Amino acid sequence: MTLLTVYCIAITIGAYAVSRAIGRRYPSPLTVPVFLSTPLVMLVLWGTHIDLSGYSQAKSIMTYLLGPATVALAVPLYRHRHVLIKDALPFCVGLVSGTFSTMIAAIGCAKLLGLSPELQAALSIKSVTAPIAIALAPKIDADPTLTAGFVIITGLVGSMFGPWLLTRMRITRAEARGEALGTISHGQGTAEALHEGDLTGAASSIAMGSAAVLTSLIAIPLVRLVV
Amino acid sequence: MPRPADVALLALQVLGLVALNIAGEYLASWMHLPLPGNLVGMLILLALLLTRVVRIEWFAASAAIFTRHLAFFFVPIAVGLMAYGTLLRTEGAAILATLIASAIVGIMVTGGTVSRLLRSHPPEGS
Repeated sequence: MTLLTVYCIAITIGAYAVSRAIGRRYPSPLTVPVFLSTPLVMLVLWGTHIDLSGYSQAKSIMTYLLGPATVALAVPLYRHRHVLIKDALPFCVGLVSGTFSTMIAAIGCAKLLGLSPELQAALSIKSVTAPIAIALAPKIDADPTLTAGFVIITGLVGSMFGPWLLTRMRITRAEARGEALGTISHGQGTAEALHEGDLTGAASSIAMGSAAVLTSLIAIPLVRLVV
Repeated sequence: MPRPADVALLALQVLGLVALNIAGEYLASWMHLPLPGNLVGMLILLALLLTRVVRIEWFAASAAIFTRHLAFFFVPIAVGLMAYGTLLRTEGAAILATLIASAIVGIMVTGGTVSRLLRSHPPEGS
């Protein structure tokens, strides 16, 4: 590991810590850590004359840890398994219809707007939690970095407008709200669902994990078929 | 300040998660699974928890830290988006429209389906 790599990791941790402190003080969708830290890191890199190739080793070390972070998702999945067991049928039907509809809507909309097949593929898996989307992307010829960007934007959209949309539709049951947020906007949606209550958060985190498994299973054949 | 014993325990837990991740990668490529290796690692840990081979306390602390700071790992990836400036300038509006439309469709379908199917199931605690 070179000194440059250590420096790049240090500024990333620093930017994250600063962003988190600001986000806690002024909670708003605009002070989400990723939203705030990213330009901060870019600014420091630019100011100290480091380009993206200098940052790449640090980037691969930090993203490697997304692997164990994904494995750790088994813990909330196990802890909240009762939510799934109690209402297994509605849960599964909701998961399958929600996952299929958002993937088809993404591919259809991207086709309509004339986006390339690579972008259509990347957009189709944007509802999957980022570490799994990044690992899944090469299997459907999508760019992992772009896919991760789409995942983060989807998380922002879902967590900003999802609860409002569900309320407008008069959907009040915690299980339904949580499952919708977790299926479509993964971790960021789950964070929002946890604000609404324990049951909503539990439904959301189990939906996030299950949606990742389902999307991984259907993405390859679906993309091959329609993209 | 955290105690050294806690830090050592946490390091051990993370090493366990890394080992499970590597095991997942191997299993996925060896059995030609269409699933990402890290997801297979997650399913292995879930199976170990369900069969009570592994107790949840063994991974609770590290899982809590990874979940709380998951956003950190997205920062270097988002920095990497710098390389896609041109693409995002030309196709950004179409991409954003697609992301917003498909998120709305997905939330409405999931929420609507589950809430309709749950009508015959009484809410918890009643």
